[in-house]
Amino acid sequence: MTGTLDHRDVTLRAVSAACKLVTRRPQGPTWNEFRMQVVSAVGEAFNNIVLHGYDGRGDGEIEIEIRATLDRITIAMRDYGSSYDPTTVPLPDFESLPESGWGLFIIRAFMDISYTPGRPNVLTLSKTLPPEPDSAEEAANAGSAKGASR
Amino acid sequence: MTFTISTADDGTARLSIEGELDAVSVSELRADMEKLLARQPSRIDVDLSRLRMVDSSGVGALVSLYKRSRAQGGTVVVTGLRDQPLAIFRLLRLDRVMVGAELSTPTPAGTTSSSKH
Repeated sequence: MTGTLDHRDVTLRAVSAACKLVTRRPQGPTWNEFRMQVVSAVGEAFNNIVLHGYDGRGDGEIEIEIRATLDRITIAMRDYGSSYDPTTVPLPDFESLPESGWGLFIIRAFMDISYTPGRPNVLTLSKTLPPEPDSAEEAANAGSAKGASR
Repeated sequence: MTFTISTADDGTARLSIEGELDAVSVSELRADMEKLLARQPSRIDVDLSRLRMVDSSGVGALVSLYKRSRAQGGTVVVTGLRDQPLAIFRLLRLDRVMVGAELSTPTPAGTTSSSKH
């Protein structure tokens, strides 16, 4: 992927499609929130690489690797720009209503992240899909029924 | 992203944003936000009922509008938030300062002029 914002939409469409692989059951509200959070976080990460890692030059490359299992998605984003460690950036001061600096907070709030600086820098975002409330309830009920039959 | 800005005779204004407000599209909005602020409206109603997605760049533009309007003695009230934009506003605690009482009901405003992008 070219490291320009014009290529972000393609990345987000791929990530959104991959989220459809992360579910055992018909997609419900928990899955919808899961996909919204994953797409939002990857979008912010893509922005950061383009605008900060490559300083908006538009000549960089971003390699995207997506791995999806039934309950988890992992997105590795590799770039060759300046290194920045999103795990060490301080949180924004909510009270002062900053006009920037929200992106890393969104990433960290929505996904598990790890970062390895180098050539390439590797930012790995991952998230586990929680069970839908009804499936958790069914599992609990099944457990109760099992216990009652003993 | 498309947006519409309208102003009323009573000095209020309305900004409606549709689609995706993100790092790609936000520059289109910022220029017209400057023109809107130059009119020093007493109140700006921001209707986001048709906003599908917002990122931190889009949030930054809306926070800028809010802070600058407040500095001029005006107010900014966001209405109509839902889905992803609502989740982002809640996460960033902006719903406490910028959002009108009725989260899903756009505020009506009289219109005397408008521009569509």
